[in-house]
Parts: sequence; structure tokens; C-alpha cells
Amino acid sequence: MKLVGIVGTNAKMSTNRQLLQYMQQHFADQVTIEIAEITDLPAFNEPEDRVAPAAVQALSDQIKAADGVIFATPEYDHSIPAALKSAIEWLSYTTRPLINKPVMIVGASNGALGTSRAQAHLRQILEAPELKALVMPNVEYLLGHSLQAFDDQGNLTDHDKVAELADDVTAFLAFVTLTEKITPENKFMEKNQQFSWSQIADGRD
Amino acid sequence: MKLVGIVGTNAKKSYNRELLEFIQRHFSDQAELEILELTDVPLFNENDDQSQSPVIQAFNEKITAADGVIIATPEHNHSVPSALKSIIEWLSFKLHPLDGKPVMIVGASYSVQGSSRAQLHLRQILDAPGVNASVMPGSEFLLGRAQTAFDDQGNLKESGTVAFLESCFAKFMKFTDLVNAMNVPDAVSYQPGTYAVTAVGHNGKLPMSVTLSKDRIEDIQIDTSTETKGIAEVAFKRIPKAIIDGQTLAVDAVSGASMTSHGVIDGVAEAVKAAGANPDDLKKRQAQMTKAVQNITDITTDVVVVGAGGAGLTAAAKVLQQGRNVLVVEKFPAVGGNTVRAGGPMNAADPEWQHQFEAIPGEKHTLTEITQIDEATIAPEYLADFRVLKTQINAYLKENKDQRGYLFDSTLLHRIQTYLGGKRTDLQGHQIYGQYDLVKVLTDHALESVKWLENIGVDFDKSQVTMPVGAIWRRGHKPMGDQGFAFIKALQKFVTDQGGRILTETPVQSLTTTAGKVDGLIAQGPDHTKVIVHAKAVILASGGFAANTKMLQQYNTYWTAIDDDIKTTNSPAMTGDGIRLGTSVGADLVGMGFSQMMPVSDPDTGELFSGLQVPPQNFVMVNQAGKRFVNEYGSRDELTQAAIDNGSLFYLIADDEIKKTAYNTTQAKLDAQVAAGTLYRADTLSDLAKQLQMDPAVLTKTIENYNSYVDAGEDPEFHKNAFDLKVQVAPFYATPRKPATHHTMGGLKIDTGAHVLNADGQVIDGLYAAGEVAGGIHAGNRLGGNSLADIFTFGRIAATNALQDELTVTPLG
Repeated sequence: MKLVGIVGTNAKMSTNRQLLQYMQQHFADQVTIEIAEITDLPAFNEPEDRVAPAAVQALSDQIKAADGVIFATPEYDHSIPAALKSAIEWLSYTTRPLINKPVMIVGASNGALGTSRAQAHLRQILEAPELKALVMPNVEYLLGHSLQAFDDQGNLTDHDKVAELADDVTAFLAFVTLTEKITPENKFMEKNQQFSWSQIADGRD
Repeated sequence: MKLVGIVGTNAKKSYNRELLEFIQRHFSDQAELEILELTDVPLFNENDDQSQSPVIQAFNEKITAADGVIIATPEHNHSVPSALKSIIEWLSFKLHPLDGKPVMIVGASYSVQGSSRAQLHLRQILDAPGVNASVMPGSEFLLGRAQTAFDDQGNLKESGTVAFLESCFAKFMKFTDLVNAMNVPDAVSYQPGTYAVTAVGHNGKLPMSVTLSKDRIEDIQIDTSTETKGIAEVAFKRIPKAIIDGQTLAVDAVSGASMTSHGVIDGVAEAVKAAGANPDDLKKRQAQMTKAVQNITDITTDVVVVGAGGAGLTAAAKVLQQGRNVLVVEKFPAVGGNTVRAGGPMNAADPEWQHQFEAIPGEKHTLTEITQIDEATIAPEYLADFRVLKTQINAYLKENKDQRGYLFDSTLLHRIQTYLGGKRTDLQGHQIYGQYDLVKVLTDHALESVKWLENIGVDFDKSQVTMPVGAIWRRGHKPMGDQGFAFIKALQKFVTDQGGRILTETPVQSLTTTAGKVDGLIAQGPDHTKVIVHAKAVILASGGFAANTKMLQQYNTYWTAIDDDIKTTNSPAMTGDGIRLGTSVGADLVGMGFSQMMPVSDPDTGELFSGLQVPPQNFVMVNQAGKRFVNEYGSRDELTQAAIDNGSLFYLIADDEIKKTAYNTTQAKLDAQVAAGTLYRADTLSDLAKQLQMDPAVLTKTIENYNSYVDAGEDPEFHKNAFDLKVQVAPFYATPRKPATHHTMGGLKIDTGAHVLNADGQVIDGLYAAGEVAGGIHAGNRLGGNSLADIFTFGRIAATNALQDELTVTPLG
């Protein structure tokens, strides 16, 4: 099985990146996780031709080729960073690779709350009709005090948080398998791949 | 009432824009609404701070000046558009104009939802601590099916919708008054007394006492005795004065000393709190702003010098010695530039003095190696000097064949070492070495510079000859007192005593020319004044660009990569201003691709003088695994590359005896650093290893081996050239280090008279350069201790030639 882990920030130093790198190594025998960055994506600006810029197309292709997606989001001002929102807007406005894609949300923050509010926002965002991702219910992996959470080798030091993450990943892998069975192949994908917010009013989507 | 409206999208067509325009017209008798667009707002990125850019500053200033803000948001993917989120992130990062600001949220969307979910998200976002806006509760104005809501004139069609908007707006008017009344700070009242608190300085905590009367901050005293002289002094004077004058904590940090500035502000805040008042009220209280008036100061002088570091003050002193007028302009509040950060010892071959000292093990070997260099590898212009040097060395070695002997040196050894040390090849295969005529001038006149400085008032410690890091040879003349500041202290005193004028906080904007001759400059003085200077000559002594990472990366052809977040040992003033000024009048550049890293810098601040800095013969460098990894006597480039190869972070290990050879510190500073966790100390090597998360057995073995090499006088592992002390007397120390940018090799092309040359190799009339702003001398790599020799030598030469050329003043001998 192959997953894409999206680092939800354009910051150079990010414990969310560290968290994905840890997951990539720690669960290597269960699943292949490719890490995707959003740093090089341009700021979203509704393109008249609806064509995705090359960097967005590359991210989109990577998502399409994967069995599932993990979003690792920081929390900026009680929500997800503008950079991550911008990436999602690109995907929703151009290629829409997240339709029916199983998604797991994780997040790391330096504060105690571990991105709880950003994750709640992200969940709502991914469930918007323009995106239609299948966000795994019940699981909320919050890593607080993340600057102290890793040792020099990039390993999580708290055993409870390691065990919790292992449970969540196992559950997500089962969820991915399950969704393959229940979603009729390409049910939504056949429809118009492109989307505009004005279409909501027309009831086209 | 003055309001700001933000269109929450960067889309060309937006019903939210139409809605704001309707509000603007409809309520124009009640409030003046200025509409701001997100079109030019860059995507937020914490690593590329744009807080000071015109677009973000426009938002900041307009929101700050407004009584309230209306945000009109569309809904994209169930939330606010990234463009809107981006401006809020910018306005909650370094700037906080929305703090306490009354905000009304409205929204329009194509769907019946009318942005309901985006509005809820926006409410939560505006509540975040960094934003902290006062969002009006209730009155949720949602405009669904917006595409059908407006008529051709852009007015809302439904009278019911208009009526609801009117009720929301009326409520917002009241809400704005209410919230702004709440924001007026309370009258401050203190429990009178003197409060002992601490300020955080460069080298740790400083005791501070704050005296408060019932309603005033009366006095602030800071004990700065443990602080490095020069760097933060201005902050210790200016910040307390600004706090007392304005009775406010909303004072601007002194540029170049922001940490110290905030340390003082926080200390006073602590006292205010202890006296029962709320420091936040004092932070909100604006100081009495002096009205900005464009005053013009017009100054005519003989010579104007740009930059008040060692090179600039030397040039100024030299002009004054010849009986002429001089003006020094400096962009920072304090004089001293990078010189105050220098380690102190300056290179000058002074064989008579050096002969009093015994040679140390390894030095003869270094000399022998020089005689064995293949002459084919020596550049032709250096060959004659090289051959004479070989004769000198062979005679010395013969004379001291069976004895330890004295410390050898000669002008030629200094010259050839400067040449060899500067020889480098960059990534593109270009080889560079020091320009012979410039290196000859430097090495011939360095000792004269030492004597000249003594004459100015610098005392040198003649009892020891030191070798600065990366110097290759012991020929360092170390001033008494505080490292590099000792030079600045004497020079500044001389310049001001002799009637020289120094204008600080006066960055130069441009040079002025008449018929191709440089004849003055235009600068920006403090408090928005404009300074126009007319002079016969301009001497650029503004330093290099090691604090300008973008410029370093732009020119770099030597290092495989320079990180965006690399630290520097330099003053933040070193941003290449003189190079910009010089090229603006046609100056040629030389060697710009080469830069030097200081391998032994503080990992957090880039500073050199934290921890224990000892002579390299006493360096023991270990990597994060506790193993030695390099010849500690190696060149800076060798040390830097080895450090990078070992994960950048490494440690200098010292014992109590080695500690005594440190030239940068006191026991009090060391104790403070150990307490702060920036220096490690333990009674055994095992304990030290544990603190560093190393295997104790590995570190202990490393040190055992090292000590045995000192006994044997030979290091079979890394071939360290010279040793002194073993590591054996407790307590043991470990100083964490990392490479940082240290010196920019390239700069303006000059001739031996410090004249700046153009691309055709011709002198640019009236323009001179000295110090790091000029290139060509040190070429690919500068020996430690040679920059001080450079600035004091070429600073004098620049002044002498400026006077001779432009004022026909001949030197007084």
C-alpha cells in the first residue's frame, strides 16, 4: 500500500514534517509513505483557464497514484495555515484528486493542544463538496509540545504517543482497504473534473 | 467614524467586494469606509518575513488608524479563502494591528449558505491569541445566492436584507464605541519603591533596579559590568531613557541590540507588575511622538568617511592628524562596526619582539614544510620573495638545529602565508590568490600600524604573542582591555578629542558626483532629517556583507550551499552598503564569490565570544559522538568543511588549565553560561559526556589518546601541528560550536593607494575604500588576525592618499 503524507506548512522548520518522517520510517514495514511538500506551490488565485500550475499538477498526480493521504497540519491562528489552505484550493479548483480518497489527519504543535482546532477545520474543509475526501472518522492524532517530542534521531520519545500512532495507522490502513470496497469505481471521477464556486448555485455538483 | 473594509478574496469578480461597496455608499453619512484589497498580499511564510513590505505595512497602518474593521468573506471549501487567511497570519506574526480592534464579519456566497461556515471559522481565527480582535457577537450577516442579490447599480434588491444590514451596522457603531472605550488604558498607579529585577543581556542576566513613585517610573539602573563592551551599550542607555521620558513600555528596540533592548523592557515590566500595575497598560500607552519634519542638514568638510568601524575611525584619525576636517557617518546607533566583535590580536611580523619567545613544538615542522613547497606551484610574482624566505628559514633551522630555539618570523613569512592562505579554487574551477602589490603593502606596513595605534593610545600586551584562530602563525599583537573594543575606544576618543565629527544613525543613501568626480553624499539622519555632505573625498569603510544572506547566496561560487538561516559572527550592519554605493558610480568588483565561515561560532547566536575561546594549540574538537574529527590547527575552511561533514554541531573540550588560556571570558561569565545551558561543565569526563549525550567511554578514550599525543609531540590520527596543554585537570568544559558566516572576501577593486577602480582599471576620482568593503587582498580566504592588520593599514593609506590627491596635503612623516 502506498500513501502520500502532505506537510501542511511552507515553514523550513516543522515538527509536522518530523512527524511524517518518523511515520515514514517507523511504519516502513507496513506501508510506503511518500512525503509531499507544499513549499513551492504558488498562492491560489482563481485561474481563468482552470489549468493547474505544474507544481500543483505534480502534487495532484502524486495524490492520484496513492491509496490514501495523510495531512499533517500545524495550527496558525486556530486554523490551518494559509499555505495549506491555498494548496487545497488549487486541488479543489483544478484537478480534484481527493475525491473519494481516504484521508487521515494528524497534527503537531508546540503548544499543549496539538492543533485540535486546526484539525476540526481541516476535517470540515476536506468534506466540502468541491473536495469530497473520505476523512477517516473517530481518529484524531494530536501531538502537543512537539518541539520536545522527538529525540536527536527523530524518534518520538513518549511511548504512549507511539502506541497511539501505531493504532491509528493500523486503523487507517484498514479504513483504506474498506473504502476500496464500498466506493464504486470512479463514481464521481467521471463527472466534470473541474469546479468553480459559482457551480454550487447551479446545483451541478 | 473611520472604518476599514477588507475584501476577503483575491478573485477578480467578487460579490463580497460589491457588498462592501454597497456598505460604503449606503452608510457614508455615518462612517467613512476605506476598502482594502488582498490582490498584492504574498502568501504567508514565516521564513520570508515581509512584515515591513509596503503592502503589509499599508494594512498595518490603516487598520491601526481605523476605529473598526469590516471583513467580507466568501466561503471556499467550507472555510475562508487562503488569501484572507494569509493576511491575518501576516497581521498576527510580527505586527498585531487587530489586537483589541472592533471587527464585524459579513459574507456573500453563491450558495444559500451565504458563507455561514466560513464566518464561523473566521470568528475562531480572529479569536486566536496572536490576532485577538474584538469580534461583534451575533448579527450574522449572510448573503446567500449573491449573484441574484444586487441590481444593476450594485444596490441590494431586497428591502428586508437592507433593513437587516442597517440593524447590524447600527449595532456595530455602538459596539465600536464600546470596545474602543474599553481599550483606553487605566490610569497607572504603583506601590512606590525600588524593585530589584533582572534584564537579559548578551552574556546572561544582569541585575537591574527600577525606582517607581506613585504614578511615575523615576529611575532605571542596570549593572552592566559582566557585559561585552560596545555591542549593547547604546541599548542600556537609550531604552531606560525612552521608558522614563515617555512613561511607556512601547519603545522601539535599538537596531543591532534588539535582544538587549527587549531584555531591559521586560525587566521594567517585571518591576511594574511587582508594584501592582499592569505592564500591558504601559505597553499600550504610546510615547509622545515627535512630529516628523523634513529637516535638511548641509555639511561641508574635507573628507567624509562612511562607516565608524576600525577602518573608518582610522581613516578619520589620520585625516585629523594632518590638520584637516573629517566627518564620519555611521548607520548604526553605536560606533565600532565589526571591530568591536574582533578577537583582539592583529597580525604584524615583529621579529625583534617575537624572538623573545620560545618556539613551540610543531612550528619548526611548519617552517620545514614551507621550504619543501614546489616552486612551480608559487605564482611568478611571489617567487622572488618565496626564495628569499626559504633562505631565511633554512638559516634559522640551521642555527637552531639542536635546540628548541626562539619564535621565528619575518615580513616575508607573513606575506607568503597570506598568499598561501588566500589561494582557493571555487566550484567553477576559478583559482584566486591575493593580489601581490596589495599583499606586499599590507605585510610591509602592518607593524607600522601597530606603532601608529600605540601613538593613538592603544596599549598592547607585550608579555604574550598570540595566534588568533586561523592565523597559522603566532604574530598577534593583543591590545590590553576588551578585545576589539580596545581599538575602537582609543580611536573614538582620539577622533572626538581632535574635533572630528561622528554622525550615528545616519545611513548613506547615495554618493554625489560632479563631472565624474565623487564629491559628497546624501544620507538619512535620525528623526527623518536629510543630511547632505559636500567633501573633497569620500572614503568607504562600511564593511562587507556577511549579514546579508541573500547577497552572499547571490554571489557565492565557493560553498556548495549557504543555508537561508545561517548565523553570522558579524554585526547586523554588515549588509554590503558600500559595495552598492561603489558600484553605483561604476566601481569594479573582485573576488565576490568567496566568503569565509567561522567554524567556531555559537550555534544559537553566531557569536564568537561565548564559551571558552582558547589558542588553537589548546583546542580539542570532538564531534557529537565524542570523537576527534579534524586537525584543530587546520585552516578555517578545513575546520568548517570537517564540521559540516560531522553534522555542523561540535564541541571544544577544555580543562581547568586550558580555561586559563582563554582570551575572551571571566569566571562570572562562564558560571552564567553554565547556568543558562550554553556551556557544559562537569567534574569528570564521563559526566561531561553524559551531559552531551555521548558515550562516556568514547569521550574518555578520545581525551586519553589526545593527551598521549601531547606527550609524544605527534598526532598520528589527524596530524595536529602544535600542542600545548593536556586535558586533565577538573572541572572539564565543553563549548558547543557551529560554523557561521564570518568574512566576505570580495569587494570593491582598489589599488595600493586605496583608490577605487572602475571596470577599465581607472581610478574613480574622489573615491577611496578600506577594510572589508574592498577586495583582492585576502582573495579566497583571510588569515585570522589579518583583517585588523588590513583595516588599520589601508584605513591610514586611504586617508593619506585622499589628502594628497584632493587637498595636496603631504604626510607629516
